[in-house]
Amino acid sequence: MAFIKLNDLEVEVEDGTNIIEAARQHGIEVPHYCYHPGLTRPANCRMCLVEPHVFFPPAGKVVPDRQLATGCTTTVRTAPPDRKLDGQYDFIVRTDSQRVKKAREDILEFLLVHHPLDCPVCDQAGECDLQDFSFNHGSGKSRYIEVKNVPPKKDLGPDVLLYSTRCIVCTRCIRFCDEVAGTGELGLIHRGSHDEIDIPRDHDDNPLRLLDNKLAGNVVDICPVGALTSKDFLFKSRPWFMKQVNSVCPGCSVGCNITVDYKEDGLYRIKPRFHEDINQHWMCDDGRLGYHYVNSEDRLKIPMKRVDGEFVPTSWADALNLIVDKFSETDPESIVVIGSAQGTNEENYLLGKLAREVLKTESIGLFGREPGEEHKFPQFTIDADKNPNTRGALDMLKLGDDASLTGDALWSGVADAKVVYLVSGAPEGPIGKTAEQALEAVDFLVVQDIFESDVAQLADVVLPGVTFAEKDGSFTNAKGWVQRIHRAVDPPGEARVDWEIIQQLAKRLGGEMDYHFAGEIALEIAENVPDYQDATHQKIGDGGVKLDSEDSR
Amino acid sequence: MVQERRILYEHLDVPDINTFDVFRQYDGYKHFEMTIKEYKPEEICDMVMQSGLKGRGGAGFSTGLKWSFVPRDIEPRYLCCNADESEPGTFSNRYVLEKNPHLLIEGILICCYAMGINTAYIYIRGEFTLGKRMLDAALNEAYQHGYLGKNILGSGFDLDVYSHPGAGAYICGEETGLIESLEGKRGQPRVKPPFPAVEGLFHKPTVVQNVETLCNLPFLMGRGVEWYTSIGRTYGDTRFNPPQSDPNTGTKLYCISGDVNKPGVYELDLGLTAEELIEVAGGVKGERVKAVIPGGSSAPILTHYELECRLDFTSLTLWKSMLGSGGIIVMNETRNIVDCLLNIMKFYAHESCGQCTPCRWGTPWVRDIVQRIVDGEGRQTTIQRPKFGITASGRWGDTGEMEEVYEDLDLLESVANNIANVDTMTWNTICVFGIAVSWPAVSYLRKFRPEFEAAIRDGELVTLPIEEATVPPEENYAYQQRIVPGLFEP
Repeated sequence: MAFIKLNDLEVEVEDGTNIIEAARQHGIEVPHYCYHPGLTRPANCRMCLVEPHVFFPPAGKVVPDRQLATGCTTTVRTAPPDRKLDGQYDFIVRTDSQRVKKAREDILEFLLVHHPLDCPVCDQAGECDLQDFSFNHGSGKSRYIEVKNVPPKKDLGPDVLLYSTRCIVCTRCIRFCDEVAGTGELGLIHRGSHDEIDIPRDHDDNPLRLLDNKLAGNVVDICPVGALTSKDFLFKSRPWFMKQVNSVCPGCSVGCNITVDYKEDGLYRIKPRFHEDINQHWMCDDGRLGYHYVNSEDRLKIPMKRVDGEFVPTSWADALNLIVDKFSETDPESIVVIGSAQGTNEENYLLGKLAREVLKTESIGLFGREPGEEHKFPQFTIDADKNPNTRGALDMLKLGDDASLTGDALWSGVADAKVVYLVSGAPEGPIGKTAEQALEAVDFLVVQDIFESDVAQLADVVLPGVTFAEKDGSFTNAKGWVQRIHRAVDPPGEARVDWEIIQQLAKRLGGEMDYHFAGEIALEIAENVPDYQDATHQKIGDGGVKLDSEDSR
Repeated sequence: MVQERRILYEHLDVPDINTFDVFRQYDGYKHFEMTIKEYKPEEICDMVMQSGLKGRGGAGFSTGLKWSFVPRDIEPRYLCCNADESEPGTFSNRYVLEKNPHLLIEGILICCYAMGINTAYIYIRGEFTLGKRMLDAALNEAYQHGYLGKNILGSGFDLDVYSHPGAGAYICGEETGLIESLEGKRGQPRVKPPFPAVEGLFHKPTVVQNVETLCNLPFLMGRGVEWYTSIGRTYGDTRFNPPQSDPNTGTKLYCISGDVNKPGVYELDLGLTAEELIEVAGGVKGERVKAVIPGGSSAPILTHYELECRLDFTSLTLWKSMLGSGGIIVMNETRNIVDCLLNIMKFYAHESCGQCTPCRWGTPWVRDIVQRIVDGEGRQTTIQRPKFGITASGRWGDTGEMEEVYEDLDLLESVANNIANVDTMTWNTICVFGIAVSWPAVSYLRKFRPEFEAAIRDGELVTLPIEEATVPPEENYAYQQRIVPGLFEP
C-alpha cells in the first residue's frame, strides 16, 4: 500500500493504482474522456491533468511539479524510505489546484470548438461526459468564431451509427475493438483536426468491412459523448425519462450484470454493469438487443384451455381448477414436473417442492433453450448454454449430474407420463422432434410460458408466465455466481409471476405454501439447499454471491 | 571574420566520397577500427559523457546521459537513427546522406558497439529519395566489406542496419512518433514516461539519435575528448543545470537560409552569435536584418537587437528560444512577420498528428486566427487586460496596470498558450509539438506586435519599418527575462 497525500486527504491506495482511480476511491472526481478502466491508456484527451508534487533540491522542499501530469498514466508506488516526500508520503498530488482547474477549462474549450452543440437532439444528452464536465469544469463561454469542421455521419454496422461531428477522438471505440473484441474494425482516418473514426473503405467510400461483431454495441456505451449511437435506441427516449433497475442478462449462462432502462410501456435499453469476475464492463449484442420479446404484442396475456382442439381464453380460477382436477385423479408416478433453466432459483425451488411434497412425484425434469455457439474474444466469452440459470435450476430441483430427467432422458420420461406440468419461459427456439413426439403423447399437458411457443402449441392448458424483467429472483451462472434480477415492468394482461402460479397450484392441491415475495423463498433456499446458505437476497445485493462448492462441480 | 571548422563535412565535397573505396582513402572506418580494438564499450560511453556531446536533433539532450539510462540487462536493444529531417529550414542531414553516407554508418557502428546493440534502423525521410539510394548503396558496400553483418572485422561484434523510408509526416521525426511509425503503426508520439531508452522500439530499450549526433562519434573517438571539448563553449553554473557546468562542445551544422547572400550549411563551432553567423553566410540580403529564426521554424524568433545572442543550446534557452535543429532563417526589412507566422502555422496545422486534444484542435484554430488577420478580417474590438512588464521589483511580471489590446491578438496569444505555455515553459500536449506551435505564435506576436496591430487596424497586411515593427527591448518579454550567459561563466 502506498501512503499518498491527495489534495488535503491522507489516504492509502494499492501500489500501481493510477490517480484517477485513487481519487475515485476517495470520492474525488478527476474528469476524463479517453481513459477507461477496461482499456489501455493513450492519455490523448488531456482532460485528467493533475498536479504531482516533487522534491526540488535547490529549494530543499516539496513543490508542485513544473509540468502537470495525466491522472490516467500516473501511478503511485511505495517509495523507498529515503525518497519519501515530506518524510512520510509516497506521492503527493493535487486535483484541485488553480493550474489544474485552468488546464481543464482550456482542454474543454478545445474539445468544444468543432462540436456542433446539438444537445437538444443528441441521444447522449443527460448522460454525456461532455455536458457534465463542461457544466462542472468548463468556462461557459466560447471564443471560437471560425468555421467548424463538419465531418459526415456514418453507418458503421448493423447497430452502430457515428455522428462524427460530436466525436472528440478519444479512441475508446478503436481500442475496444482492438483489445477486448480483437476484431479491429475501427481506425482513424485523415490527420489532425480532420481525424475521423471509420471502418475500412475502398476508394469509392464503400465499406470493406462493417463494425459487425457480437460485442460491437459496447462501443456505444463507452463513447463518452453522443458520437456513437445505437440504432436500436436512437431517438427512442430521453435518458432522464427512463428508470433504471439492476438485473442479470438472461441470454446465456455467463450472467452478465446489466442495467435495464425502462418506462411504463416497456423496456428501452439494456446496458452492461461492471462485475469484475463475470463480465467486467462488457456484454454481447445478443443480450443487449435481445430484450424486444419482453415488449412484444404477442405475449401470452391470459390463461387458455383447449376445447375441441382449439385454444379458448379462460379465467385463472378455471384453468387452475382444471389442472388441480387432473393432478388429483392421476397416479403420482404418472406425473412429470419440468422446471425451466430460464426460470429463477425461487421458481424452481417452489416447483421442486410442489412436485415432491404436494404431488409426491420424483419425476422432475429440466427444460431450456437449445445450446447455441460459444464465442470467444480476447477478453470476453459468450457461453453456448443459452439459459441464464441451468446450474441454479439443477441445484433447486435437486437434479444431480446423473439426474434422470435432463437431456434425452427427459423426453423418454415424458413419453411414459399421463400429466406433465412444463414451465418454459424461453423467449424463442423450436423444440426437437423427440421432444415434440413425447409431448404429443402426453394425456394432459400444462405449459407455463410467455409466448404461444412450440411447446405451448401442444398444451391442454396454457398459463401465462413472465419474463426476467417482470419478476424478482436470482439466477446462478455457470461459474456459480448467484445474482439478483429485479422487476422493472408489470406483467402484460393477466400474466402472473411464475412462482405465484406455482404457489396457487400448490395451495389448491392442499399444499402448505404461503410466500409473499421472492425473497422469502430465497431465505428458505438458504436454509435447505446445500451451498446456498449465503444466497439470500440481502446478501446477494448488487454484487452477487459466489457458491462455495464451485471447485467441486 | 569567423572561419568554418569542417569536421563532419571535411570530405563532403570529395568526388565519389559516397563510395567505400574513396571513403577508405580518406581514413574512413579507421576510427571505428581503432575504437573496437582499443576501447571497451563502457569506456566509449564514458568518453561520450565527458565530451558533453548534446543530441543534435533538437532537444539538445546530453547523449552520454541518455545512453546511461539504457538498461544493459534487457536484450535486444535497438538503435534508431533519426534521418527524418523535416523541420522547415533544416537540411544538414540530407547532405550527409546524399554525399557521405559511410560516415553515418561508421557513427552507427561506434554507437552500437558501445551500447551492445546488434540491430539498427535508419528512419529516413521519404522525400529523400536520392539520400535513400546513396545510403542503401553504402550499406550494401559496408556489408560486402565486412563492416556490417556477422562478426565484424573478426571482433565477434554483429550489427545489422536497415534503412526505412518515412511516409511523409513531420511528427515521425519526434522520437516516439518515429518508433510507432517504424513499428508499422500510425505516426503518433507515445506518452512519456517510459522514455525510449527504457522502453522503445518493440517495447525494448532503444537509443534514438540524430544523424548529426552519430556522425560526431568517429571524430570524438578518433581525436579524443580533450580535442572535442576544446571546440565550442562550456558554460558554468546555469540555473538550468546547477551546479554542474553546461557544455556546448563540438561543431554544429548550421543551415542558414532566407535573406542572406550565401545560404547553405555551415559547420561552425557551437556558441557563435547570430550576427557572426549571418556574416559567415555572406551577410544579409537587402538592407537590414529584421528577424532571425534561430532553430528551425518551431523556435521563437529573435529581433534585430537580439542578434548578440549566442546560437548554442544553453544560451538560446536562456534567451527563451532554442537552437533546435540549427535551421536558421534570416528575414530582412521586406518581410511581414504576420505573413511569416501564417506560413508557419499553416505548416503546423497541417502536420499536427491529431492525437491529443489541445494540439488537434488548437493548432488549426491558431492558424485560422492568423489567417483572418492576414485577410484583413481581424476584429477591431479591443479588450482590457493586465499589462505585463518590468515591475517595481525590477522583475518581469504583472505591472498592476491595464493595457488595451485587440481581441483577436489576445485570443491568439491565449489559445497558443493553452496548447503550450510560453511563460511557464510547460505544455498540455503529449509531445513537444505543442511547443513548436505556441512558441513561434506567441513570440512573433509579442515581439512584433505593432505589425499585427497594423494589420488589424488597416484591414490589410502592412510591412512596417523595422524600428516601428519591433517591440522595443524594454517591452520585450524574452529580452527582459534573458540571463546573459557571461554572468555564469566559470
